[in-house]
Amino acid sequence: MADILGSFEQAVLLAIVRLDEDAYGRAILNEVARRLERDVAAGAVQATLDRLERKGLVRSRLGSGTPIRDGRARRFYAVQAEGLRALNDAKAAHASIWRGFSRSLKART
Amino acid sequence: MTNPPAVGDRLLRALLPPASAETMTGDLLEEYRDTRVPAVGRRRADFWYARQVAGVFLRTYGWFVVPVILVLVIHDLFNTFRDPSGASYLDAAPVLVRLPLGTPGIGVGALLAAALYGTWRTQRWAGGVVATAGIFLVTWLFMALWWPATFYPFAQVQQHNPYWIQAWQWSTNRSHTNEPFLRWIFWDNVGGMIFFGMAMAVVSSACGIVGSTMYWAYRLLRRQDAA
Repeated sequence: MADILGSFEQAVLLAIVRLDEDAYGRAILNEVARRLERDVAAGAVQATLDRLERKGLVRSRLGSGTPIRDGRARRFYAVQAEGLRALNDAKAAHASIWRGFSRSLKART
Repeated sequence: MTNPPAVGDRLLRALLPPASAETMTGDLLEEYRDTRVPAVGRRRADFWYARQVAGVFLRTYGWFVVPVILVLVIHDLFNTFRDPSGASYLDAAPVLVRLPLGTPGIGVGALLAAALYGTWRTQRWAGGVVATAGIFLVTWLFMALWWPATFYPFAQVQQHNPYWIQAWQWSTNRSHTNEPFLRWIFWDNVGGMIFFGMAMAVVSSACGIVGSTMYWAYRLLRRQDAA
């Protein structure tokens, strides 16, 4: 089993999987923010994408810009086979941690 | 179409590597125009944009800010809490502790390292200068909060130390004023903050210029060697 992904890395990778062909910076930022139900810093998402690309879990390509972004290029991301493996490992680790735990969690007063 | 503050866009470009500068500024511009301005209005959208720029800065250079702030805080503590003779407790420490903490070496080193890293990361001369300017700003803001927050408890200790009492008497006698101790030490702190701000602005600018120029000189030499 490879290194287990952090929860933010999982959120970013899953956002790319969900967005499929439309996975570029701003769309990923909004998808992660929506799933985590909080405001997310663009710098945090960008740093995570760079790290995932260095690890070989995602690959990026440049796409065309649009008038609303003054023609500035968009960088599209795609999850690689290694990235899908890492996501599956993370899911399995998560399930393993919680397996057989049925008690309700209550703080002691 | 509405634009975010031009200075924010320029700063962002000076903080990002060339590969992300175009795409990330485009992403933020699109989000600003398409979602933020229609949803919350221009002023709050500008604030959101500024927060994104600050977030990128802190994520990139936060580890350079930490040693600078630590040195200043340690310096302030050793300056306030002194032996009654006025000698610093740091004087008794081993030389390996005294030298880095008692001199501005760590702070200047961190600023130079940030300038080199910033220029290398962005491949722009301005990258290093923006890095040190940002470190100066964050550090100064921290110290501008630190001094007022610690003023009263520190002054309570200082007014029982013969060294500080002597300094107060000498100062008030010289200026023929009848200032109470707390008022004197308050203005001493204000003066210190202004002096520190000016000194650090000069040092961080110099480190930014020197560090960035060093990196470009290194690149030029390597290119000449390769040729």
